[in-house]
Amino acid sequence: MEEKRIGVYVCWCGTNIAKMVDVEAVAEEIGRLPNVVVSKNYKYMCSDPGQELIIKDIKEHNLNRVVVSACSPRIHELTFRKALENAGLNPYMFEMANIREQVSWVHTDRTEATKKARSLIVGAVTRVSHHEALDKRTVEINPATLVIGGGVSGMTAALEIADAGNKVYLVEKSDHLGGHTANIDLTFPHLQSAAQLLQPRIKRILNHPNIQVFFGTTIDEIFGYIGNFEAEIEQNGKKTELQFGNVVVATGLKPFNPEVIDVYGYGKLPNVITSVEFEQMLKSGKIQTRDGQEPKHIAIIHCVGSRHPDYHPYCSRTCCMIALKFANQLRSAIPDAQIFDIYADMRAFGKDCEEFYKDSASRNILFLNFDQQKGLPRIGMPQISKAPPGNGFEMIIEMDERLSGEKIEVPADLVILMVGMEAQEDAKTVAHAVGVSMCGNDFFIERHPKLDPVATTTDGVYIAGSCQGPKDITDAVSQARAAAARILASIAAKTVEVEVTTAVVNEDMCCGCQTCIKVCPYKAIHFDEEKKVSVVNEILCKGCGTCGSACPTGAIRSRHFTDMQILSQIKGIMSMEVTEI
Amino acid sequence: MSTRVDPNFKNTLMGYGRGDWNECFHCGNCTAICPLSENGFLFPRKGLRAIQMGLKDKLAGYVDPWLCYYCGECSETCPRDANPGEMMMTLRRYLTSVYDWTGLSGRLYRSFAAHLTVVFFLFAAIITSFLIFADFSIPANAEGIVEINKFAPHGLIASLDHILLGTLSFFLLTNILNMFIKVIIKDRSVRIPFSMYFIHVWEAIFHFLTQARQLKCEGKRTYWFSHWFLMSSYVIMFILIIFFLDWFQTDQIHPVWHPQRWLGYYVTAGLIWGTIYFMIGRYKKNKEMFKFSHHSDWIFIILLFLIAFTGILIHIFRLNGMALATYVSYTLHLAVEVPMVVTFVAFSKWSHLAYRPLGLYFANLKKAALRKQYNMQVAPAV
Repeated sequence: MEEKRIGVYVCWCGTNIAKMVDVEAVAEEIGRLPNVVVSKNYKYMCSDPGQELIIKDIKEHNLNRVVVSACSPRIHELTFRKALENAGLNPYMFEMANIREQVSWVHTDRTEATKKARSLIVGAVTRVSHHEALDKRTVEINPATLVIGGGVSGMTAALEIADAGNKVYLVEKSDHLGGHTANIDLTFPHLQSAAQLLQPRIKRILNHPNIQVFFGTTIDEIFGYIGNFEAEIEQNGKKTELQFGNVVVATGLKPFNPEVIDVYGYGKLPNVITSVEFEQMLKSGKIQTRDGQEPKHIAIIHCVGSRHPDYHPYCSRTCCMIALKFANQLRSAIPDAQIFDIYADMRAFGKDCEEFYKDSASRNILFLNFDQQKGLPRIGMPQISKAPPGNGFEMIIEMDERLSGEKIEVPADLVILMVGMEAQEDAKTVAHAVGVSMCGNDFFIERHPKLDPVATTTDGVYIAGSCQGPKDITDAVSQARAAAARILASIAAKTVEVEVTTAVVNEDMCCGCQTCIKVCPYKAIHFDEEKKVSVVNEILCKGCGTCGSACPTGAIRSRHFTDMQILSQIKGIMSMEVTEI
Repeated sequence: MSTRVDPNFKNTLMGYGRGDWNECFHCGNCTAICPLSENGFLFPRKGLRAIQMGLKDKLAGYVDPWLCYYCGECSETCPRDANPGEMMMTLRRYLTSVYDWTGLSGRLYRSFAAHLTVVFFLFAAIITSFLIFADFSIPANAEGIVEINKFAPHGLIASLDHILLGTLSFFLLTNILNMFIKVIIKDRSVRIPFSMYFIHVWEAIFHFLTQARQLKCEGKRTYWFSHWFLMSSYVIMFILIIFFLDWFQTDQIHPVWHPQRWLGYYVTAGLIWGTIYFMIGRYKKNKEMFKFSHHSDWIFIILLFLIAFTGILIHIFRLNGMALATYVSYTLHLAVEVPMVVTFVAFSKWSHLAYRPLGLYFANLKKAALRKQYNMQVAPAV
């Protein structure tokens, strides 16, 4: 066995660490540890001269292991691994001791902090002694992509990927493309026709040589891993086997059913309709009540099913502007109608949306405000009832108007309920099939809410559109294009690097109990029926270590987190004197 | 009891002023910036809300417009250019017509033509009466003094004045009673103890005499002075011609230091200064409050100016013994004075002389009563 030659570098991080930890004394003391060849302290290890120092020492002192005690490995572990690689060492022969976030920033006693820093570094040194060289691994990417959902998001992603010359399988549950956008008359805030946005794209998809559309089809299960997925789909009784390298989940939304809100009388009062039904009315070109009359008093009620603890706590984001669009279309269609916009909060956050709100306000629309949150469960919400005959209108909406403080009656012949968006009923099935997680509201969760809003925790599976959360067309298209860009990048790279710190099964020790298969969150372990042992799919494995700790026989070993490495680190940290080791 | 909303109500206000009542989205910046708005009387946002929703009954008893002096900060601050300041001005005009049970006020406000017609009719009527009943050929006496009381005897003129005063007072007082009913009696939320009416009456008088509340509005010192100078001049003139006409309208020419002379000069100076100040402002639109001028504002200020101007002419011609010119000026003087008084005192802009101090008085009564009610309710619990 080769001689272990360890270099230790204690970082000052300017004064961040140095003011609370006696870095010089620590470095000096660590230098006396066995196998530690060099032990230095430096102002900024992460700086170029700091990295150069490591590279130079590796070459000069023939170091084969390095410890840097500085900030969190989340910040600079990759930086230093790269430095090791540049010096010709395997990047995994490195360990980092966090003496900033875990020591200097959280302690106030310099002596104690210095002692703790020393312990952590000793632990790192004892751990790094047992590190093994690990090799990078890559897999090839199948350039075909599966897009689930033929709404505006799915269509956008499909076209983007197919236009770049790659095969796309577009799977749509219904018998037509366009999703909810196909049911819309005009879009906000510019009142452009939705059909004009959609029709050319639908045509292009149906005629695209690279896109294969499967109507009336759902995905039951996807097997495989990034670059090499496969699924079996059934269409008209015919089974097809698809192979693809990436997945875009764009399964969309479902409109809220307002029947559950009894005060609105939906389903009982014939002229209380949903925004979805009103869109159809607009598309048909005839705005009328059930008995064919032109409505003269029209009320639009916002936040139906949204922002209410009894229904959905979240905002559906699009209803406010759709309501304004309705008000505008109504004003143009019936110039003498009384139009009431009954809202809880007007959310006009998009580009040109505040302007749209202002313009709409000048078109003689009476905005009435109610308190959605006050007086639960129902008080404060508008109550709709049938008006006594002879009033000249059909229904009365009673409400506490917040901006005036008055209890008021609003006459109405037609009431439009702005229903919110909710997750698809089969969201759970889809989530299971493609291996994405869901939040409490059944929307799919992105990998990072800010920095990675299109990827999921499963590599190669991306989400776009309202399956991730309520979205307007603009945002849905942006997200779809972002997902397409990510996929095209991986197709262009041809291969993808996968995690090497994975679990491995010692087949001789495995008793075949399959505990590991049950606990694996990434479905990365399967059972070899022939050998009666568990086998880890190293491409799916994220190296979380759950299987390793659950394995009753100790047959599973997590690379880079072996028992030996962890135990020696604990021993190092617990040792009171350097000489104990 | 819930109120039926009426989005068409705001259209009925259009004749009373200008402004985009739809624009407001109730951020409340106007109320926040207003130096006069205070707890219990938070304006102007609430007024705008009542207009938008068509809360007619609430507006009828709404006293807040009389507490506003239109500094215009609200309109400057408004992010939606809804002109809340002009909204309050419009409401003052509208309320004047609401208090007026004859309905004449509304007609004068809503129609420029109607107002102008009434003014011209009265103007012509006065001139015709003088042409028929007065003798324009009476020369100056031997000492060269124009004997105006021979042309128009002060006794006769004073009697006509008193008839006019009686009639207009009847209308104004009944309108004030109407205001009292709408603002105080119909408001069930407050019960005002009888003694309070006496305690707070001094505030109304003090305000009427000083208009000091206006000074709380930032940058209104020149405006306050001009308005106060005009108002005090007008009030003095009013007292002189109604109660002391025999002392004021004399054929004898008093020396310059005589009170009859310098009171006359004060009145003339105040009217000229004030009317020119307002005419320039309204023409240039150099202040927020001058940006939107209603026809009632223009007719009022022009008639006031003409009253002062013809007054000066009478004075000059009389001092120079020019009899006919004096009589013509005198005739014109009355021919502009009468339509101004008839159309404005009880039915239009002039009435704010009464409604403003009364509005403040009523508001203070309510405030005091609410304070008392609040204490009485709270006291036992403590």
